[in-house]
Amino acid sequence: MNRRAWNMSFIKFRHFFIMYLQLAWRNIWRNPRRTAVILTAVIIGIWSMILLGSLMRGIAVGMIENGISTLTGHLQIHHKGYRNDPAIENSITDPVVVENALREVLPKGSSWTARVRVSAVASNARHYSGVTLVGIDPVAEAKVSFIGTAISQGRYLNPGDHNGIIVGEALLEKFDTKLGRKLVLMSQDTHRENASRAFRIIGTFRAEMEATEKQFVFVMRKASHKMLRLGDGISEISILLPGKPDNPEIYDRLMTALPSEQFEVNTWRELLPFQTAYLRILDGFMWIWYFVVFVAMGFGIVNTTLMAVFERMREFGLLKALGMKPWWILREVLTESFLLLVTGMIIGNILAFICIYALSGSGIDLSALAAGAEYAGMTRVIYPAVALKDIFVSNLVVLLLGILVSTYPAVKAARFTPVEALAHT
Amino acid sequence: MLKQITITFWLALLFILFQSPNAQAVDARSLVEDSFNYMRGKSSVATVVMTVHRPDWERKMTIKAWTRGRKNSLFYIDSPPKDHGNGTLKKGREMWMYNPKINRVIKVPPSMMSQSWMGSDFSNNDLAKSDSLLTDYTHSIIGTESLNGKKVYLIKSMPKPDAPVVWGMQKLKIREDLIWLSQEFFDEDLAPVKKMTTFEIQMLSGKLYPKVWRMRKVDEENKYTELNYTSLVFKSDLPDSLFTLTSLRKARR
Repeated sequence: MNRRAWNMSFIKFRHFFIMYLQLAWRNIWRNPRRTAVILTAVIIGIWSMILLGSLMRGIAVGMIENGISTLTGHLQIHHKGYRNDPAIENSITDPVVVENALREVLPKGSSWTARVRVSAVASNARHYSGVTLVGIDPVAEAKVSFIGTAISQGRYLNPGDHNGIIVGEALLEKFDTKLGRKLVLMSQDTHRENASRAFRIIGTFRAEMEATEKQFVFVMRKASHKMLRLGDGISEISILLPGKPDNPEIYDRLMTALPSEQFEVNTWRELLPFQTAYLRILDGFMWIWYFVVFVAMGFGIVNTTLMAVFERMREFGLLKALGMKPWWILREVLTESFLLLVTGMIIGNILAFICIYALSGSGIDLSALAAGAEYAGMTRVIYPAVALKDIFVSNLVVLLLGILVSTYPAVKAARFTPVEALAHT
Repeated sequence: MLKQITITFWLALLFILFQSPNAQAVDARSLVEDSFNYMRGKSSVATVVMTVHRPDWERKMTIKAWTRGRKNSLFYIDSPPKDHGNGTLKKGREMWMYNPKINRVIKVPPSMMSQSWMGSDFSNNDLAKSDSLLTDYTHSIIGTESLNGKKVYLIKSMPKPDAPVVWGMQKLKIREDLIWLSQEFFDEDLAPVKKMTTFEIQMLSGKLYPKVWRMRKVDEENKYTELNYTSLVFKSDLPDSLFTLTSLRKARR
């Protein structure tokens, strides 16, 4: 084919294409009410796919951010065996080795902190409850976990607080106590004897979950060392990396830097198995949701298009009689569907983004259902999170499957013969 | 002469001024300590009926108890037969429990120390830290009253600042012949929480001793635990072998 001929055919094609689009666009609006019905179905479908998708992502993101900031971090280092048996015997007795390795391996901008973490019993005159005693270095800890910004009453720990303790609001309420009051903590020390120590409540914190507020109490690491006769030992080191939470390269380098018979390095994915599993289920669940929405929407499209096709039987018969090929009629009907779908998708996307924007400010507050939501490990407020992948997939699904289901009425239309059309009144 | 008297007077005054607060504190402290030692004796062997009373039920069990000094004690349940052989050994501030049904000795972990002992109104801590009153508190005499012609000291015991105790205050009533009449526990707002009272002071094993001890939560009239000594023998010493895990397992029959 020479250049001129190719040019001619291109112009012809373009001409054809524009003609199809024009015809289809005008055909759509020949019956505005019917078009409006299909458009509504498409708009609602795409709107719900994107909005609900972003909310589910939002739940996942919230869960993971909350999990990471609740004393997990992106990476953690423990003494071998601590994760199976978080007892005081499984502490890292010589943290200096680890700290030196960390200084060498970690990239600039990462922050880390060492803590003592043991289970203990807190009691006052009327109440007692099991808690997790966390001995922290207040300055380093604030950069890694939520506690630095979560103080709601009183103040944060200072290096001079030898018997200061920070408890959750929920624990304060449960224990019927207030700032300045005493709390006696009991635990087992390194000699396997009962250790107890009195602390004064100097501050309280608010956390995303009530369970966190009831579980953790924070004291100075020095104070916990003295109480547990732990020397300089620590239970864990929590690391926050700059940038993305997953960084396999740093993980590998840490693994080689620390002797594996003595230390264990874990990523947040291993430390938060529930959240990781949820992430994995989420993708599958989204596909199911797309399918459900689509089935509802698809039947609407087929039904309405089929009706439209039957209504226009005489028109198709006439076109056939004038010499239009069946294939062209098929294309004609499909183009109409395509235009309908695209229009619906544009409006649906715009609506969905308006909703997401409106929700992104305050989020969806589940505080009223907090107990139930907490059970599932969800945070109090859900903020929608937009993932490009989800938007792309939902639009593509609607478009492709929409055109696929419209082929049925389109084929019907293409098969009408002029005689049939004449007989049809 | 006059000068001498004046000097003596001033010396005496000085002595009183500087000594009196101290003297009183020592007094209160030694009173509590003497009373504690009197009540506990050097060593003792006892049989006690413990009654746990609740509004809708009551349960009695017979306990055999051996104590030596402030640190060591061994209890085991004699009846009802269902609980026979359940034992508790206390050495210092550590406790072990033995359950014959599972044939296991459990060291009472810190998490169980605040729980009640054998379903009574005493907590494991009350037993394990029974000498806490002597080590973690400062005592002062806040008054006296007389009861049946005997003088009774009212003692206020405040915990030392960093002492690992949950109480905000304790108040004791100790009779002049060292008999413990009551011990009241207060929270940090100085509101009463629970109170132990003793009754029926009589001769037991050659000295005056209250036969009945009752521990009651302050706001619950109908819930209390009562200890009734059916026999009590004070001894000068008990063998070391008694306060061992082996001895606990044997559930001395």
